[in-house]
Amino acid sequence: MFKLAWRNLLHERARLIISVGGVALAVMLILLMAGIFAGSEEHAVAYIKRQPADLWLMQDGVENLHMSSSLLPPQVVEDVRGIAGVYQAVGLLYSTGAVDLGETEVYSYIFAVEKGAPFGGPWDLMEGAGSPGIDEVILDSDLAARYGLGLGDTVDLLGKQLRIAGLSEGTFGIATSITFVNKQTLAGLMGVPPDAASYVLIRPESDADRVQVADRLKEAIPEANLMTREAFVASDQEMIRQMGADVIRAMNSVAYVVGLLVIALTVYTATVERAREYGVLKAIGADTALLMRVVAAQAFISSGFGFLVGIPLAYGIGALITTLLPEMLIVIEPDNLLGQVPVLLAITAAASLLPLGRIIRLDPMTVFKG
Amino acid sequence: MDYVLELQDVSKTYGHGRTAVKANDRVNLQIQPGEIVLIMGPSGSGKTTLLSMAGLLLSTSSGIICVLGEQIDHASASHRAHMRLKTLGFVFQSYNLMESLTAIENVELVMNMAGVRGSRAKERARELLAMLGLGERLDHKPADLSGGEKQRVAIARALANDPPLILADEPTGNLDSKTGQEVMELLCCGLGRDQGRSIVIVTHDHRLRSIADRVLWLEDGQLSETDGNYLPEMT
Ligand SMILES: Nc1ncnc2c1ncn2[C@@H]1O[C@H](COP(=O)(O)OP(=O)(O)OP(=O)(O)O)[C@@H](O)[C@H]1O
Ligand SMILES: [Mg+2]
Repeated sequence: MFKLAWRNLLHERARLIISVGGVALAVMLILLMAGIFAGSEEHAVAYIKRQPADLWLMQDGVENLHMSSSLLPPQVVEDVRGIAGVYQAVGLLYSTGAVDLGETEVYSYIFAVEKGAPFGGPWDLMEGAGSPGIDEVILDSDLAARYGLGLGDTVDLLGKQLRIAGLSEGTFGIATSITFVNKQTLAGLMGVPPDAASYVLIRPESDADRVQVADRLKEAIPEANLMTREAFVASDQEMIRQMGADVIRAMNSVAYVVGLLVIALTVYTATVERAREYGVLKAIGADTALLMRVVAAQAFISSGFGFLVGIPLAYGIGALITTLLPEMLIVIEPDNLLGQVPVLLAITAAASLLPLGRIIRLDPMTVFKG
Repeated sequence: MDYVLELQDVSKTYGHGRTAVKANDRVNLQIQPGEIVLIMGPSGSGKTTLLSMAGLLLSTSSGIICVLGEQIDHASASHRAHMRLKTLGFVFQSYNLMESLTAIENVELVMNMAGVRGSRAKERARELLAMLGLGERLDHKPADLSGGEKQRVAIARALANDPPLILADEPTGNLDSKTGQEVMELLCCGLGRDQGRSIVIVTHDHRLRSIADRVLWLEDGQLSETDGNYLPEMT
């Protein structure tokens, strides 16, 4: 029966291409959407991941970088430095705001660490200074290039004119960018003391026991929340995932419906067009279950090929998009890829049920007609 | 001994009320093993109707149908499908082959349906097609075969599951008379009678009388025996 299904498909090349193409497009759409969301999630935690700080200290009750506001008293950074096993501690001021580029405004994650801090600044500097001075800013190079800005030009951030002192890479995301400013400047804009910190980034000594260091920190500074980098990343990713989940679900539903319609329609028309042949099979002894197997086999073969074509298509189009639009980080995860398989199987099974009525009503007497 | 096929007082009426058509009227028919029977009659006399009921494709209005001694007219749809697959072979005027399959695959298909697979099915299909003179056409699709060749593939398909009874409706209707005669001789002589198979052929083709054991005449839904020499005028 599989052979008949296979041959019937090959016999109608155009239709095969349409159904495989339709499924491939739907699969590609789903993977790209998920990839874009995964990419923006990756962008959102890029800063945390790029810092050599194994531990993050923040205000009690705060568990995220995004969508939360943390402020620690000024002496905390010094307190942290005094704890045994701590190699480096950097006070980070964090805020969000729009960078006014003249033509447009771009929402920005704004980071500031004290001058001379061992880390906390841009991890991939293309041009200029790595540490912004008073009233200076480090912008993403792709973002600056898009709006014709370069070193020495000024942009408006949180209502203040800042001079571009450096250009960083890997800091441009969809609708957001990562921006570095001088800590004193940001403290002034936020209305907090210049030595205050939103977070303290802690790097333990390389041979120190991280758990012990963490315990000592918790004991010494009980009024703050301490998280490992992994936990902090996971907590932010989880929050972003929840924010995007509904959108992804809606987008995926649309793609699935497209896929379902394409498979259902092609399977249905294929069945109707071969109604006479199926009638012949019925006449010579096939039962409904057997005919349905032929129809289902055709549906599953088409969607299987569609899936296989959709994957490289998603990777290819994804790479193309990222080349054309550097802010579109697209991360296609194998887990997500496999996650589509059961859904696709269910959709295909549903689509192959569509011609069931036609198959049942087939009149084997058509075999006697000339 | 059981008849291969037996119809007792079988009637068929299409529709009802004023538009009712009595296509078969109390037809009685018995087919012996190895017997070749021709059913002739004017157009619209009910020949196809009769063959469809005998072939378990059409329900009767009344009467009894037995295949190999088993009463089958009231059996379930799936049992009737099973009987069609295993004990009946069909040959139609319009061949009815699967367009996407090659000659040999068309024959293998019905064997696969009956549970015979792989090289066993392939070997038998090859053998049957070779006996029907299609040894060189195994891998041709129906579109690349002549009418006579297509009908021979259909015959091979009808014989594939080695059924005791073959039912043919106007098998030569789309063939020129010489080709038709050749094809029917292949079916009836080598592969039919000699192997103890019974064959019922509905036809308008007078030449086929020479290969039949018995010729029956159907007119106005009623079946009668003829002596095979005299036949009423065909319409
Ligand atoms: N499905 C149907 N519904 C109503 N009437 C039908 C149906 N099928 C056949 N008939 C009628 O039954 C009668 C017998 O038809 P049938 O097809 O059995 O004749 P036939 O002997 O095979 O004719 P032909 O030699 O032209 O093939 C005809 O009058 C036909 O119009
Ligand atoms: Mg007829």
